[in-house]
Amino acid sequence: MSETPRPDTIDRRELSAEQQAAVEELLFRLADDEFVHAERLTEWQIYAPTLESDLAIANIAQDEFGHARLWYDLLKQLGYTEPECIWERDPTEWTHSLLVERPFDAGDWGDAVLRGYLYDVAERIRLEAVADTSYAPLADRVGKALEEEAYHREHATNWLERLTADDDGQARMQDALDDLFPAALSLFDPGPREDDIVAFGFRTESLAAMRTEWLETIGPSLEALGLAVPDPDEVAQSNGRGRYGTHTDAWHDLYDEVTATYREVDFETPVELRATEE
Amino acid sequence: MDLETVMERAGPREFGPGDELPEKYRKAATRMIQFHANSEVMGGYLDKTFTRKAPSLDRKLANTAKVQDEIGHAQLLYRAAETLDVKTRAEMLDELATGEGKFLNCFHYPVDSWYEAPMIDFFVDGGAMRRQATLKSTSWTPYAHAMDKVCFEEGFHVKHGESILRELMNGSKATQERMQETFDVWWPRILQFFGPTNDESVHDDFAQAVGLKTATNDELRTSFLNMYIPKAEKYGLEIPEYPRIYERDDGTMAVREDDLDWKEFWTISRNEYEGSTEQIGSRRRRQDAVEWVRESLETWESSAGPTPQTAD
Repeated sequence: MSETPRPDTIDRRELSAEQQAAVEELLFRLADDEFVHAERLTEWQIYAPTLESDLAIANIAQDEFGHARLWYDLLKQLGYTEPECIWERDPTEWTHSLLVERPFDAGDWGDAVLRGYLYDVAERIRLEAVADTSYAPLADRVGKALEEEAYHREHATNWLERLTADDDGQARMQDALDDLFPAALSLFDPGPREDDIVAFGFRTESLAAMRTEWLETIGPSLEALGLAVPDPDEVAQSNGRGRYGTHTDAWHDLYDEVTATYREVDFETPVELRATEE
Repeated sequence: MDLETVMERAGPREFGPGDELPEKYRKAATRMIQFHANSEVMGGYLDKTFTRKAPSLDRKLANTAKVQDEIGHAQLLYRAAETLDVKTRAEMLDELATGEGKFLNCFHYPVDSWYEAPMIDFFVDGGAMRRQATLKSTSWTPYAHAMDKVCFEEGFHVKHGESILRELMNGSKATQERMQETFDVWWPRILQFFGPTNDESVHDDFAQAVGLKTATNDELRTSFLNMYIPKAEKYGLEIPEYPRIYERDDGTMAVREDDLDWKEFWTISRNEYEGSTEQIGSRRRRQDAVEWVRESLETWESSAGPTPQTAD
């Protein structure tokens, strides 16, 4: 971690109201994606095809929850509480992409692998795009997350090779790709503060540029495995749904399940274990 | 080595893969370790429910890590069982899926509320800890080695469960009452966790004679009650009047056997309880649904060049 921020960086106390709103949008997008992606991945625990893959997907889910915690912690520094970030937040205000909220069909390990791949490549691109952020507290936290994402991509790529090795697997993976691709594009749907996020230097790339890089990365890799990547201009743009208040029913069901205990049991504050467990 | 020699030599970590052991020993050890490994998987199945229900991000992380630990324990234990050359891991996992494989009674009951998290994670795991601690001195060395790691991690699980119990018992009156109701339901099951009294147990004599098992059911139950009744009371739980628990003349604790539902216990032990069918079945259906993945893996491994790679 760098002790002295770059001279042109902005610390949290120096944020203008506009800047703070933009940082918050950026952080919520990062955190919500990680949280919801991890929540879905845990569905594979006990159900993964082998004990080894069960352990691996659990590792990834924990990393992603850990990243979500990093980003929610930055929001806490800006005055939010954990209930405001997660437990009491209106489900329509969550800004994760449609890709991560999709439920898994029983046995669709191909979805888990491909979703992980599409997500992890996007994650790498957007973490790199905040590595030189002007927001000092964020800059400190990117390195660790990037290292872990490299392992996730390796995991996904190894599995993609195996699953596309025969005709049956390839057909399954093509179906998964056709299903997931439109939802994956919503990873790059802009929010209301997108222009500010870039203008203030909180992110050094625009979402449009990141989307291009993502397409240029996943396209050749998937095609080398014999898969046909849909034309992004031809798929209906996420059916008009996206990150902002237009989630699918699957998200609302998931949100109800996730928050059920919190709503039922009247805890004063969600318990934090960091001091004792790490 | 004949059985007599095995019984003579029986002691902590006495035997290992280098020893030629009678089939009776190897089968008994396999049955015991396979039961243990199966219980890790089916305990994980229940614990998984709590990951989604966890009411804080940190609790959720601790819970998903716990489920992962349990699968890791299963992996270690199946490997320890394989060293006995009786069954392969694939055979044991198949037996778990078909309902032939047996596992701990408490993991046959369904769970659906956060209040049940401390039942599994504190009391059942605490009971398991009592048993596992004694298994560090089992005579089959690979099993004892697995216990070193398992016990270390179980220590964290029990703390996690205890912390959830403490939190719930510090909640509102309604929360405390709900916790007590849940405890009342689970307490007899937890007492049965240690099985019937010594004279009714089928496998104990041999397992003890050859050093696989180093403590009797009664000793383990006593040790659990001595440790966990005070803990339960400390957090404000009341021990139900029934099943009646009493102190024997020699200072050990016992439960009035007639107060427990042994018909249910034996139904469970045959995997014929409602929850057995549901939990074994839903895991099997999900495992069948990913059979295609295991087939793809085999295809890939057999075509991966002149030196085929091993399964792990």
